[in-house]
Amino acid sequence: MPDDIILEVKNLKKYFQAGRPGWFARNETFVHAVDDVDLQLHRGEVIALVGESGCGKSTLSLTLMGLEEATEGNIIFEGVDITHASNEERKKFRQRIQMVFQDPYESLNPTQTIEEIVTEPLIVHGIAPKHEERRERVRRALEDSGLKPADDYLYRFPHQLSGGQRQRVVIAGALVLEPHLLLADEPVSMLDVSIRAEIINLLADLRKSRGISVIFITHDLGTVGYFADHVAVMYLGRIVEIGTMQDVLKDPQHPYTKALLSVIPVPNPRLRKKRIILEGETPNPIDLPSGCRFHPRCPVVMSVCKHSDPRLMEVTASHQAACLLLVR
Amino acid sequence: MALQTAEIKPSVPSSPLVGFWKVFSRNRIAVFGVGMLLVAVLVAIFAPVIAPFDPKSSAGIGIADIYNRPSGTHWLGTDDAGKDIFSTFIFGARVSLIVGFFASFISVVIGGAIGLVAGYYGGRVENLLMRFTDTMLVIPDLPLIVVIVALTKPSLFNIIFVIGIFGWTTTARIVRSQTLAVKSRKFVLRARGIGAGNPHIIRHHILPLVMPILVVNAILVISTAILNESTLSFIGLGDPSAISWGQMLNFAFSRGAMSAGAWWALLVPGCGIVWVVLSLTLLGHGLEQVLNPRLESHHLMPGRPTVQSDAEVVSSIRSGKKDAPILLDVQNLSINYVNDHKVAKAVYNVSFQLHEGELLGLVGESGCGKTTLMMALLRLLPAVGEISNGHIYFRNQDLAALGEDEMNDVRWSGISIIFQGAMNALNPVRTVGDQIAEAILKHMPMMPPGLVNARVIELLDLVGIAAEHKDHFPHQYSGGMRQRAMIAMALSCNPQVVIADEPTTALDVMIQAQILELLDDLRKKLGLAVIFVTHDLGVVAEMCDSVLVMYGGVTAEYASVDTIYNSARHPYTQELLKAFPDLSQPDKRLTAIPGYPPKLDALPEGCRFAPRCPLAFERCTVEMPALHLLNGGDHIASCHLVENN
Amino acid sequence: MNRWRYIRNKAGWSLFTILFVVVLNFFLFRVLPGDPARQGIRDPRLTKETIEAIRVRFGLDKPVINCVKTITPFRFGDCGVNPFNTQFFIYVRNLLHGEMGVSFYYNRPVADVLWERLWNTVILIGGGQILAIIVGVLFGIVAAWKARTAIDYGALISGLVAWSLPTFWLGIVLLFWGSNHGFPIGGKSTPGMSSYPFLTQLGDISWHLFLPTVTYTIVYMGEYMLIMRSSLMDVLAEDYILTAKAKGLSTFQILKDHALKNGMLPLVTIIALNLGYTVAGVIQIESVFSWPGLGGALFEAVVRRDFPILQGGFLLIAVSVIIANFAADLTYSYLDPRVQTTS
Repeated sequence: MPDDIILEVKNLKKYFQAGRPGWFARNETFVHAVDDVDLQLHRGEVIALVGESGCGKSTLSLTLMGLEEATEGNIIFEGVDITHASNEERKKFRQRIQMVFQDPYESLNPTQTIEEIVTEPLIVHGIAPKHEERRERVRRALEDSGLKPADDYLYRFPHQLSGGQRQRVVIAGALVLEPHLLLADEPVSMLDVSIRAEIINLLADLRKSRGISVIFITHDLGTVGYFADHVAVMYLGRIVEIGTMQDVLKDPQHPYTKALLSVIPVPNPRLRKKRIILEGETPNPIDLPSGCRFHPRCPVVMSVCKHSDPRLMEVTASHQAACLLLVR
Repeated sequence: MALQTAEIKPSVPSSPLVGFWKVFSRNRIAVFGVGMLLVAVLVAIFAPVIAPFDPKSSAGIGIADIYNRPSGTHWLGTDDAGKDIFSTFIFGARVSLIVGFFASFISVVIGGAIGLVAGYYGGRVENLLMRFTDTMLVIPDLPLIVVIVALTKPSLFNIIFVIGIFGWTTTARIVRSQTLAVKSRKFVLRARGIGAGNPHIIRHHILPLVMPILVVNAILVISTAILNESTLSFIGLGDPSAISWGQMLNFAFSRGAMSAGAWWALLVPGCGIVWVVLSLTLLGHGLEQVLNPRLESHHLMPGRPTVQSDAEVVSSIRSGKKDAPILLDVQNLSINYVNDHKVAKAVYNVSFQLHEGELLGLVGESGCGKTTLMMALLRLLPAVGEISNGHIYFRNQDLAALGEDEMNDVRWSGISIIFQGAMNALNPVRTVGDQIAEAILKHMPMMPPGLVNARVIELLDLVGIAAEHKDHFPHQYSGGMRQRAMIAMALSCNPQVVIADEPTTALDVMIQAQILELLDDLRKKLGLAVIFVTHDLGVVAEMCDSVLVMYGGVTAEYASVDTIYNSARHPYTQELLKAFPDLSQPDKRLTAIPGYPPKLDALPEGCRFAPRCPLAFERCTVEMPALHLLNGGDHIASCHLVENN
Repeated sequence: MNRWRYIRNKAGWSLFTILFVVVLNFFLFRVLPGDPARQGIRDPRLTKETIEAIRVRFGLDKPVINCVKTITPFRFGDCGVNPFNTQFFIYVRNLLHGEMGVSFYYNRPVADVLWERLWNTVILIGGGQILAIIVGVLFGIVAAWKARTAIDYGALISGLVAWSLPTFWLGIVLLFWGSNHGFPIGGKSTPGMSSYPFLTQLGDISWHLFLPTVTYTIVYMGEYMLIMRSSLMDVLAEDYILTAKAKGLSTFQILKDHALKNGMLPLVTIIALNLGYTVAGVIQIESVFSWPGLGGALFEAVVRRDFPILQGGFLLIAVSVIIANFAADLTYSYLDPRVQTTS
C-alpha cells in the first residue's frame, strides 16, 4: 500500500561549506552532515534516529522540516516531493509536519504567554479565524498535551512552568495544527529522569489516539526502547543499521550498534555486564576516514574495511546493516 | 538551583508591565534617576513660570549688573552680560533636553535599524553594515561633529542632526549582537518550523527581546548627546538663539568669570548638565539591573559561619563497605540558604559515611540538594548558604568548624572535586598543564619545576591524554578530553576522597561510558573513595557500592546498591526505578512520578515527598518522617510506612 | 597561524579605515560651505580677480576629481582630464609628502604646527590614560571583590557620578580651585623657563600637567572602574573560580591568577572602542587648560576659522585613533588565547 507511506527519503544529502576558496586558493571543503540517507516511514509509526553528536541526525531533521535546503536527493511527504518546495508550498506542508525541540527552556519565547505561544501557529496559518474557535482549539491542544485544566495555564509565562510542563507546551504548540508527522529532536534529554517517562508516554498516547507518525531523534537508545517501532542508527552522516526495534535490540549486526547497546546502563546491580567501549571520539565530518567510516574506531576492523565502503545490506527482510562482516 | 514551580494555581491574566514595575520600583538607583529626570523635565516645561526674569530681554541692565554675587533678586547671581543666571539656567534645561531627546531619537532609529537588519539577515548584508559601523566607530565622533558644525551654520537643528547622525554606532553594535543572540535561540527556529515568515518573527520574537536593551541604550545615547551638545556649545559652536548650559559656560569662561572670581557663573550651568546626565545614567544603570538581572554574588564573597544547634544524633549509620575504615563521616548535616531574612532549608539532617575505596552514589532529581551537600563538604557554599547544624569528620577534624586557611589545606589534597561542566570549570585563558601544576604547587610548594612538569605529564597520561596537549588551552580540547583533564587535575594532589558531581552530563553516550570506565579504573588502581553525584540510576547500578537517595533536601533512602535496586523501601526510590528505562525488561511501561519536586522556599510541611507519593496518607502531610534504621542499621529509609519494621 | 590572520585582517581594516577618513576629509571640506575662496566670495571688498587668485592659490580652479568639476554646486566635468591634475590627487599626493596646506592664522605649514602639538597631546593622554586605568582597575577589583558592601556601593555611585561629569566643566572647576591654590592657570610652561636647567623645566611642565591629568583621570577612571567591576563580577561567578577555590588557593591567588586577566579582556575592548571618546575629552581639557595639544589646536581653529588646521587636525586625530585602536586589538590577541587558535 503506497498510500500507507507518509514520508519517504531517497538518497538525501546535506553538505555544508566548511571553508570557501578564499584569496589564497584553498580547496573547497565540505561538512558531510547527511550523506546518502534512505528512509521510509509509515502512517502511525515511530522511528528512532539514534547516534552521537556529529552523526547528522539533527541536520537530517532540519532538512526534513525544510529549515535547511537539501544538497541532493528527495523528500517525499504524503506523495508530494517537497525537497525544493517554494515558500508557499512549504507553508502548507508545515501544518502537517511539526517539530519538538530538545531544550524546553530555549524553545519558548519568554515574553509570550502560553496562550500566545500555542495560538501563534493558528495565526500564522490563518486557521480558525474566530476568536472562540481558536481558543477552543488551543484549549484542546493543551489538554491533549496533559496540561489540564487548560485555563490554569493560558496566562502563564514559560518561566512560571517546570521543564516537563514547558515541553508539554511545545508539544501543544505542535499539536494545535493537527500534524500528521512529529519530529522530536531529543525531546527529553534535558529533563530529569523522573519526568522523561511522562513525555515519552505522552508521545506514545498521541500516536495511538491521533495516529501521528513520530521521528524520535536521540543519542540514548535506552529512552526509546519501548516506544519506537523502527530504529535507525547513524554514524557520520550515514545510516549504519536500520530495522525494527526488536531486530536491532535483540540481534544488532553493526559493531557500532553493538557498542552503543552495550553501554546503556541497566538499572540492576546484579546484571552488570561487559561494556564495549570505543576508543576516541567521532571523527570530524570534514575529513572522512577512507573505506568504512567506522573503521578507525571499530573493535573488529579487518584490512578490507580501510578501502571498501560498505552499503546497507539485508540481514532479514526488516533489518539492514552496513558492515563488511555481513559479506562473508 | 533549577527553576521549579510548586503547585499550579489558577492563573489570572497579568501584564508583564505590572511585573516590571514591581521590580523597577524596588530598584532605588533607577527610581532616584527617574525622580531627578522628572524634575528636569518639569523645569524645562514650566520654565516661563519659574524664571523670574526673561533671559532674552536686556531691558534695564547696566554695567553695574555684571557678575553680581547671588542675592535676593538674583538667586544665582548675574553673568557677563548682567543677566540673571537663574533665569537663563532654567531656560537652558529646554535646550539640553530637546537636543538630547531628538538627537538620540535619530541615533537610535538609525542604529536600531542597522543593527536589526545586520543581525537578522546576516550574510553579506551584515558584513557590509557592520564593517561600515566599525569604521564609523573608530572615527572619533566629536572632532567630526565639531568640524561639520564649524563648516555649517551652528543652528539648533544642525546640532541635533549632526549629533544624531554620528551617535548611532554603539546602538547598532548592541542591537546587532542582541538580535544575533535572540535569533539563534530555539524559539525562533520553532517559529520558522511553524511556517512563520520574517516579518512575523521580527515583530513577535526578535523585537520584544531586543526592545529592553534598546531602551537602556537609548537612555545612554541621550546622555551622550547632551554631553556632546554642551561640549559643542562650550567650544563656541552653540546656537546663539538658544542659550544652553554649555554656552553659559562658554561665555563665563571666555569673558573673565575666572579672573572676576565669579564662581557662580561657572558652577551653576555645570550643575545643570550633571543633574540631567546623572539622572539618565542612574536610570540607565538601574534599568539594566532590572531588565538583565545578574546574580550580584560571586564565589569570593565571604561565606556564612557554621552554626551549631543541638544535634540530634542518629546512631551508627552503617552501610556500604563495612569492613574498610571510615574516611569521611558526615553527621546530621543541615544547610540553609539565608536570603533577605528568608531561610530555605536546602539540606536537612543528612548523615552518611564514606569508607576507604568505597564508591557512594548520591542520587536525586535536580534541585534536591545533592550539589549543595557536596559543596558543603568542601565548604564552598555560596555566600547565602550556611551550615546550620552537623559535623563533617575527616582526618580526625570537623571540617564544618575549620577556619578558611586550615580548610585550604584540606581542599584538593584531602578532598577534591570534578565539576559538572568541564568547559566552565577550566580557566579559558590558561593552559591545561598550567592549571594542573598550579594545584600541585599549592600543596607541595617546594617541588622543583622539573618534577612538577613530570607529574603533570604522568597525570595526563593516567587519564589518556598525550603529553603534547599539556600546553593547549581548554577550548582546544574536545568535551571528553576536558572532562579527562578535570579528572587528572582532581587527582593531582593524591586526595583520599574525590567528589564527582555529574561528571558525564552533556556528554555523548560513548564518551560518557569512556569517562565512567576511566573513573572506575582509577579508583580501583589508586584506592580512592568516590562520591558520585548523578540523576542516572543506571550508572549508579553499574558502578556504585552504596547509594544515598535524596529528595527535597533530606535523605529518602540510604543502603547498599543491591538493597536499593532490589528491596527499596521508600516510595520515592520505588517510583524512581519505575520511571527509569530498562532495556533488559522491554515490556515494562514506564511510569512517571506525577508532579514536580518542591521548591526550596516552599517545602511541604510533613514528608517532603507526600504531595507526589502514591502511598501518602494523612500523617504524611503533617509529620516529617524520621530516619528509620532497618536491617540493623544497614538500610535507612525516612518513611512512616517502614516505622514498625 | 591564526593569530597572523587575525592581525592581518585587523591591519588591513585599519588601513581601509584610514583611506576612508582621508577621502571623507577631502570631500567634507568641499561639500560643506567652508572653503576659503567661497568664504572670500561673500566678502564684498574682494574683486573677481582676487577671488580667482585665491582659487588658483588653493588649487580650487582644478576639477575635484575625474568627471566632477565642483561639488557645491555639483557639476559634472570632463572624465578625460589628467587624473594627476585633479584636486583629489593633489590632496593625496601632498598628504603622502606630509603636506596639509598652510594655516591661515600662523601662516606656517599645518603639518609643522600640528606635529609639535601631537606630542603634547600624547603626553597628556598617555599619562592620564595610564593613571585612569590603574586607579579604575584597582577600584573596580576592590568593588567587585567586596560586592554588596558599603565599599562597593560607594565605588558604584562615585563611578556613575564621575561618568556623568562634563569633562570641560570638571576642568573649569579644578582650574578655578587650582588658580586659588598656586597652580598655573594654563599653558605648558611658565614664560621664560627656557633659560632654566632641564630638570627645573621638566618640573615646571609637570606642574602645568598636573590639573589636566587629574581631570582626565577622574573622567575616565569612573568608566573603567564600572566596567572592571561588572566584568570581574561575571568572572568571579564563573565555575573556574570555584575550581580554583576548591584547589585550596587563597583569595589573593585567585584574584591574581584566575580573575584579573579574564576580567581585563572586556576592558581592553572598551578602552579600544573608547579611544574616539577619549579624544573628545582631550579637546575639552586642552581648551580649558590652554594646553598646546591637538585638541586645543582644533578648538582654536574653530574660533579662528582656520580651516587648514581644522582639516589637518581632524585627519591627524582620526588616524591616531585608528592606529591606537589597532594596537589595542593586538594587545587583545596576546591576552586571549582563544583569538590565537580559533578563527
